[in-house]
Amino acid sequence: MSLREQLLVVDLSSGRMRREEIPPDLLRAYLGGRGLGVRLLRERHTLSPYDPAMPVVIAVGPLCGTPAPTSARLSVVSRSPLTGTVYDCSAGGRFAWRLRAAGLFAILIEGKSPRPVVLAVTSAGEELLPAGGLWGKGTGDTVRALSGRGSVAAIGPAGENGVLFSNIMMGEGNAVGRGGLGAVMGVKNLKAVVSDGDLRTPVADRERFDRARADVLRLFRASPVIFGELGIAEYGTPALVDLMRQRRMAPTENFRRTVFEDSSAYSGPAIRAAYGAKKDGCHGCPIQCKKSAADGRHLPEYETVSHFGALNGIADLHAIVRSNDACNDLGMDTISAAATLSAWGEARGRFPSPEEIGPLLHDIAHRRGEGELLAEGSRRVAEALGTPGLSMSVKSLELPAYDPRGAYGMALAYATSNRGGCHLRAYPISHEILRKPVASDRFSFSGKARMIKIAEDANAAVDSLVACKFAFFGASLEEYAELLSGATGDPHTPQGLKEIGERIYLTERFYNARNGFTRAEDDLPARFFTEPGSHGEGIDVPPIDRARFEEELTKYYRIRGLRDDGSFPDDGFLGRQP
Amino acid sequence: MRDQIAKYAGKLLRDRSVVPGRVAIAAQDDAMISEGASDLSRLAADVLSRLSCLGVVAASPSLPFAEFLLRRAAAGAGAIVPLDTETRTFLHDIPIARSEEIAADPARAIAALLSNRKGVIAEGVGIVASGPVTLEQAYIHYSCVFHAAFVKYLLDVLREGFLLPGEEEAFRAFRETFLRPPTSEGLAFRPGPLDDPGEVLAEIRAVGRYTVERGLVDSFFGNISYRVGDTIFISQTAASLDELSGCIDPVPADNRSTTGITASSELLAHRRIYEATGARAILHGHPKFAVAMSMLCEEKNCPIKDCWKDCPNVRMIGDTPVVAGEIGAGGLAVRVPPVIGAPGKAIVYGHGVFAIGRDGFGEAFRSMVEVENRCRADYYRRLDARSGGQSKSE
Repeated sequence: MSLREQLLVVDLSSGRMRREEIPPDLLRAYLGGRGLGVRLLRERHTLSPYDPAMPVVIAVGPLCGTPAPTSARLSVVSRSPLTGTVYDCSAGGRFAWRLRAAGLFAILIEGKSPRPVVLAVTSAGEELLPAGGLWGKGTGDTVRALSGRGSVAAIGPAGENGVLFSNIMMGEGNAVGRGGLGAVMGVKNLKAVVSDGDLRTPVADRERFDRARADVLRLFRASPVIFGELGIAEYGTPALVDLMRQRRMAPTENFRRTVFEDSSAYSGPAIRAAYGAKKDGCHGCPIQCKKSAADGRHLPEYETVSHFGALNGIADLHAIVRSNDACNDLGMDTISAAATLSAWGEARGRFPSPEEIGPLLHDIAHRRGEGELLAEGSRRVAEALGTPGLSMSVKSLELPAYDPRGAYGMALAYATSNRGGCHLRAYPISHEILRKPVASDRFSFSGKARMIKIAEDANAAVDSLVACKFAFFGASLEEYAELLSGATGDPHTPQGLKEIGERIYLTERFYNARNGFTRAEDDLPARFFTEPGSHGEGIDVPPIDRARFEEELTKYYRIRGLRDDGSFPDDGFLGRQP
Repeated sequence: MRDQIAKYAGKLLRDRSVVPGRVAIAAQDDAMISEGASDLSRLAADVLSRLSCLGVVAASPSLPFAEFLLRRAAAGAGAIVPLDTETRTFLHDIPIARSEEIAADPARAIAALLSNRKGVIAEGVGIVASGPVTLEQAYIHYSCVFHAAFVKYLLDVLREGFLLPGEEEAFRAFRETFLRPPTSEGLAFRPGPLDDPGEVLAEIRAVGRYTVERGLVDSFFGNISYRVGDTIFISQTAASLDELSGCIDPVPADNRSTTGITASSELLAHRRIYEATGARAILHGHPKFAVAMSMLCEEKNCPIKDCWKDCPNVRMIGDTPVVAGEIGAGGLAVRVPPVIGAPGKAIVYGHGVFAIGRDGFGEAFRSMVEVENRCRADYYRRLDARSGGQSKSE
């Protein structure tokens, strides 16, 4: 296996940079991406997210640069200023592929530059460029200014101004979103990273790799969610709008209801009709689930349309698309932005109108007026307004557009997620709603503790390969283990990958525990246990049974080898890990 | 979990894929539960304890075909490679574990194989299959291996004859006492055309159940639909045809809604068949003899290697056309619609049978039965001819 992978260490304080070899054993134990980033945080995981010594790690995975489907991705790992947890986010586009072509597997950025800079890496070397002229600019202008140097990952005004849910935006429209890592970059005075290169990634066993690739593509074609005529390749993730409406689990008006009668205004077919949506997506991906308008404008994802739509009671598609545009250019997470506005709206007794949202988003990004408070995210907003129960978040991360009263595995997974209220850690929507790889009973907790644990481990491995979660609506770790074996020449199995994922997951939980997280934080907003969703059409959406939820959470801890209070049985966990 | 164990053990018995009394299922939540034949139950639990999975099925298959395939495999072969569509798509291959390889620690050896594949054939044990996400998955994977072994053994015997002591006798017993010819007798079908959605859903549920009960499909394979005006009512992906309550999606013809994203992966094929034929009902099953016979092509010196997806020819088995094509967004949605109209039925290479009803499901069901019985008869005719040849040469 060609494990001589390079890590670029950048000290922004001194401007010194060095390339060093990543110990091969570390890659065997953590793969890359999320796993490698989490491991590289080991000595510094208790530092404040804004401490100059807190690193931001950008890491690709061992499949990046090969033709493995959906693998031109990377993970960015640090500690979140929004949640306080260890934080990672996976993103596609072209940046990851170009980073590997520059001869790099990962970049660890530490310190704080005395003035705004751009980090530019190529296969010939790396340099820090002055970025004073870019500071204050939106991500669109920044990307355009830097595009001659390769693929761009940039922050916008939101990251510069410390918005707790600010993103790092990829030039191709993908986001390193949710947890505010844009603000961590901003506090380091790092406006952007640009990568380009011409190095090829070798494949150790081409025949094995090609066979596995063909297997993956066959499974994609057999998956209605991926390549079905109503699937995400056709309509993007807004294909889920109609389904969530039909399942009566579309969060509406800050989760007070679970059906928004006008959701068809922003469904996949509605977006296609209004914008002539065409396929777009990450480098080399056969699915191309991102959708763009005829003028190249990036169109919103499911979470975005649902939260700027139903969650705020808005049925104006064009207003929703404008909100998406604004968030992308300002460098802000759409889910948290929309959910924070919704919590604020319920607290003041009126949800923001479509006309109000645009100016509010700019105020948030620049921390002006109401935006100063809103930039702190829904948990801090609700607390400041004396209505803490109105923040629909877990560990301060706003919940996405799957109401947990309609999918009990999702309820448990929100609670146990190491990065807070995220649907992608265990992604039980896959089996509870989309029936992949098989269906499970969405209104039952039976077996869910084990299912969530296994899925969290599997997805930690997926985020370390780094592959796209959507690939697993068709393929499984079985085929991706074969791809990895073919790419590296080392034998891998799905079971082995899940064991690596378990190591990563427990490491994250251990870091969080060190930072004060306990069972108390593995919880859902009280609303879900006391208020029903929207009944109708033969579907009953009762409040979640608190006792049953707690029972399943305890089971989850036992399956993970933790104490019933969610803590580790001893302090020696990290010492036993490679 | 115990109710699910009982459910899937019952299904395995009803579909006659296990020897009664020789099935065990293990499931783990925060504790291990394992029920069934004591030796298999211990094995299933031991295997499961080594895997990051929800459940394991370990059972002696009702037919010795899997064991025969293992013993017929070349020395040193680590897997058999059935070429039916389900294996190609989902299993890839089926690992085999010989007695001597598992003697020291069967659970460890079987778990090692299951760490990389969905099901295993273990000599002297039977089929062991895992369910990474749900217990149902373990049942499905067992059923897939059983189906794949059945089809491959039929073809291997036809090509190579009986090679092992006891094979011929076992096959005779299978033919004379195990097999039941599928029939539509005794089944009630609503006469079409049907227009009331409630009646349509009820009929789809009933016919789906018939298809499983009469052995025309295994586990969660197959799909079924009915067209009312511009709406196709179709079974959902990964739905068992005998459990379709709540698992039927209404899909509008103009795709104005994407609620049908959970519809069967064959939605496109169903839509194209409706467009090409004007039929009202479509039934798709995987009857085993039809699957096997569809893979028996006698074209000489053909340059095509991946017949199952690349063959452009329409072959006939009796009056039933056989075409190639991958499932889902692959080629079968292109190749089936042009050929299914006149005969009302078509076989997809290595995959299964599509049958249509102009008004109701009775016609489709009877067509599928007819195809399977025709394929059985053809198979035995060829096998008998081969045996006759053998007798003469002997």
